[in-house]
Amino acid sequence: MFRLDPITRRKLQRFRSLKRGYGSFLILCGLLLMSAFAELLVGSRALVVKYHGHYYFPTYTAFHPGTDFDEDYSYETNYRKLKERFATEARGNWVLLPPVPYDPYENSFEEGVYPPTPPSFSQRHFLGTDTTGRDVLARLFYGFRTAMIFSLLFLVLVYVVGIAVGCAMGYFGGAFDLLMQRVIEIWSNIPFLYIVIIIASIVTPNFLLLLGIVVLFSWTDMTYYMRTAAYREKARDYVAAARVLGAGSGRIIFRHILPNVLSLTVTFMPFTIAGAITLLTALDFLGFGLPPPTPSWGELLEQGTANLNAPWIVSSAFFALVIILSLVTFIGEAIREAFDPKKFTIYQ
Amino acid sequence: MKYLLPFPSECGRGVLTPHESRRVRAPAPQWLFLTVVALGLLSGCAKKEAVVAARDIGPEAEAYYKAHADVFRFATPADLPKDLAWHDGSDVPEFSAPEARQGGTAQGWILDFPRTLRFAGPDAAGSFRSFILDDNALSLTMKQPNTGQYYPGLAKAWAYGTDGRTMYFKLDPDARYSDGVSVKADDYFFAFFFFRSSYIDDPWSNNFYTTYYTNVTKYDDYTISVSWREPIPDLDDKLGIVPVPEHFYKELGDDYVQRYQWRLEPTTGPYTIKPEDLHKGSYVDLTRVPNWWASDKPFYRHRYNFNRVHLQVIRDVDKAFEAFKRGDLDSFGLTLPKYWYDKLPDCDPLVQNGYIHKTVFYNQIPVPIYGFYLNTAMPLLNNRDVREGIAYASNFDLVDHQYFRGDFVRMQTGSDGYAEVPFPGIHPRPYSIDKALEHFAKAGFTKRGPDGILVDEKGQRLSFTVTTEDPSMRDVLTILRQEAAKAGLELNIEILDETTGYKKIEEKHHQIGFMAFGPAVEKYPRYWDFYDSSNANKPQTNNITNTADPEMDKLIAAYDKAQSMDEIRRLALQLEQHVYDNAAFIPGFKMPFYRVGYWRWIKWPKDFNVRLSQNAGQYGLEWIDEATKKETLEARDSGQTFPPEIKVYDRWKAGNE
Repeated sequence: MFRLDPITRRKLQRFRSLKRGYGSFLILCGLLLMSAFAELLVGSRALVVKYHGHYYFPTYTAFHPGTDFDEDYSYETNYRKLKERFATEARGNWVLLPPVPYDPYENSFEEGVYPPTPPSFSQRHFLGTDTTGRDVLARLFYGFRTAMIFSLLFLVLVYVVGIAVGCAMGYFGGAFDLLMQRVIEIWSNIPFLYIVIIIASIVTPNFLLLLGIVVLFSWTDMTYYMRTAAYREKARDYVAAARVLGAGSGRIIFRHILPNVLSLTVTFMPFTIAGAITLLTALDFLGFGLPPPTPSWGELLEQGTANLNAPWIVSSAFFALVIILSLVTFIGEAIREAFDPKKFTIYQ
Repeated sequence: MKYLLPFPSECGRGVLTPHESRRVRAPAPQWLFLTVVALGLLSGCAKKEAVVAARDIGPEAEAYYKAHADVFRFATPADLPKDLAWHDGSDVPEFSAPEARQGGTAQGWILDFPRTLRFAGPDAAGSFRSFILDDNALSLTMKQPNTGQYYPGLAKAWAYGTDGRTMYFKLDPDARYSDGVSVKADDYFFAFFFFRSSYIDDPWSNNFYTTYYTNVTKYDDYTISVSWREPIPDLDDKLGIVPVPEHFYKELGDDYVQRYQWRLEPTTGPYTIKPEDLHKGSYVDLTRVPNWWASDKPFYRHRYNFNRVHLQVIRDVDKAFEAFKRGDLDSFGLTLPKYWYDKLPDCDPLVQNGYIHKTVFYNQIPVPIYGFYLNTAMPLLNNRDVREGIAYASNFDLVDHQYFRGDFVRMQTGSDGYAEVPFPGIHPRPYSIDKALEHFAKAGFTKRGPDGILVDEKGQRLSFTVTTEDPSMRDVLTILRQEAAKAGLELNIEILDETTGYKKIEEKHHQIGFMAFGPAVEKYPRYWDFYDSSNANKPQTNNITNTADPEMDKLIAAYDKAQSMDEIRRLALQLEQHVYDNAAFIPGFKMPFYRVGYWRWIKWPKDFNVRLSQNAGQYGLEWIDEATKKETLEARDSGQTFPPEIKVYDRWKAGNE
């Protein structure tokens, strides 16, 4: 990999000094880290079970049928019930459950109580349940993970394609540039939402397919910025020098030009992520997103707006969305400020 | 023919009609598509001459009658069989409320503006049809919706032929279309010409009127007979056709679809639409026909009481509901638990102050056939043990009990709701993990994989995709999926767009289809469409389970030829037992009632409604009390209250009759 030049390093230092943005960055990283280990915090599988002197760690292993703990069923153990049983038996067996002992798929129905049920600390439904009795917090948390994975993959794919095509356009120029410009103009005029609706009506898109479709129609945005930047950079002396030394086009683009235009892409990143989260949420909201029962914020919002009498659903999803988008925007602002060329441009 | 055309979706029925957002699919009438091409040739209608303003279809129709003399017979009154026993419905009880008052304007809503006012051709089977045709126009005889007897419609008397397939009708000389022209025998001849014509671009009607009706005879201007193909026990339902006014269709031609798109056929029923009341995209007003010919006749008096029905287009159900709560709409369907319990609970001030009344009405009609349709042509699903296992692993009871709050009940068979065709002793397989595992084990699925889903020796997972075209079933499917996983069965959910999903299932590309067929309100269920082997493994038929069982074929053939209700009952029971044993259809849920909320100025008969009603407004029994409306609106502003009214009419609840 290329080394960061001193200017970029100073920019990063400046970013760290911007408290709001840097704080948001740390919080978001913390949330990402937590969601990476979501099963330990939110999930129906116990963290540790001690049964007849044996320790079980069901979180990341194959499922334990109820019969493993002498229950009378062969499907996955209900650890919440098991915990109650152990408590009443008092034989030294115990179960350690995650703080939120529900997974995002299971419907917890109770006799005589019809979902959605309001938040309850005693039931450990901290944000209540949705219309089919699933824990809102669990769906929110796993929905966050889905959204973040989606947007990060989206970011990587869009930037790889966008940067490569954009740099190539700027670097090669001429007929290639002219042709690609027209292609991009036509491509970006295809109504994206209609395409998604049509595809979603024919097949139920899975995660990768949805990602693919979205990337297919989003890579064009980056190209123009990169094209301009590459045009500017390729006229510089160091590019000419590299060429004289016999460097090929690929090497010049990726080893020489790219590090110098990277600051441009960095400022866009947070906004791309915010855009991807919003897009996924919107698609799920409209029912063209991920297939049920995938936990997703859009689906929660949709449920919430259809059931305004259960305000905990819509408010949970709404505030989660607002908080995450605010965090991302604060980070974006801070990066933009840190990378502001007015402060760092050095004229030769 | 109202009883066989696709059942109009309940969506958007607003006037005193419960809104019912379950989508119901009508059985596609593909089983009738036999001779479309031949018919197009027969009617010889491919004229390409320039459209002449003063067109007259009359001579062409006359020529058509002559060319098909076997179908269109001209006779004299002397040709009538001598020993006919004429019925006039005088022994049938009326079902309207004598205290009903006529007048006022009803405020209703529709979800979407109708796409046409035609009764035939493209888009004509939309939900708006019920306002202008199905629940409006009169047929020859009409069915008493409580007793199932028949009372006079456009025929004042009728008689049954000895052949078991012909009925004779004496037309009521008072019968008039809304434009004042009287209804005559010629209009029935023309009806056959019309529905068999290729002009109307309606292959279903073309086939139906060609295949099933063998003869229409005119004895004089007011006496006709109509014959069905073979003897059947419910002739009245099949032969009580509606006339088509020839004078209105003088300009019938190749441009029928465009020419008649927004022209409403004169009706024999109570309501019509004046051209100035059609505001495209915004609203439609129905007006009661002035001096309607049947106004004071028995069975029609005290019905259709509103002078006008204002139908506002409201494109969002929840918005319409808010309009109802504000008093802009007179009534709203509260059938779904969401509305009945959550959005307008009994404790709502509007209910508690007595402004809005809530009513549950138990009806008795063939119910939409909701359930899992297993495609027996697919690998694994061709194994009966797997199918039975799936049936035991489908926890519809939990859905009914916890998601639908016990309002919905489990369907017992694929043909529930036919009062005269009961199926004692046939019940769906209950949810049982043990039994499911037992059957899956018989099919070779004995081990659970790391995620709890069963796998067989070859490592194949017990996993199927459930396809549906109804997004509102998403929650139901997620519950079923979770419950099935306990029995080691994985159900992946595929929710497709309505047309695509339906097509996928009709083309038999599905593994498990989750949908509903909306049966027509007939006397006995159909089996040929759904289970005959001639419809199996063929795209675009209703045999979506691909059932092909020679024994069932024999029974179905006998069933379709059955001439008495006893025989029909006996064969239906055997057929239903086969359907159960085959386990390709897993019964879902049904709702034995509808629920409606209405402002207190809308009044109803003391029994509220009739047994065969699909919704509260269908039979036009309600009326408006303008004085109460004024009083209520003033009371709402001043804070005055009335006693609340929440009523349950369970006269027709199963077991109560």
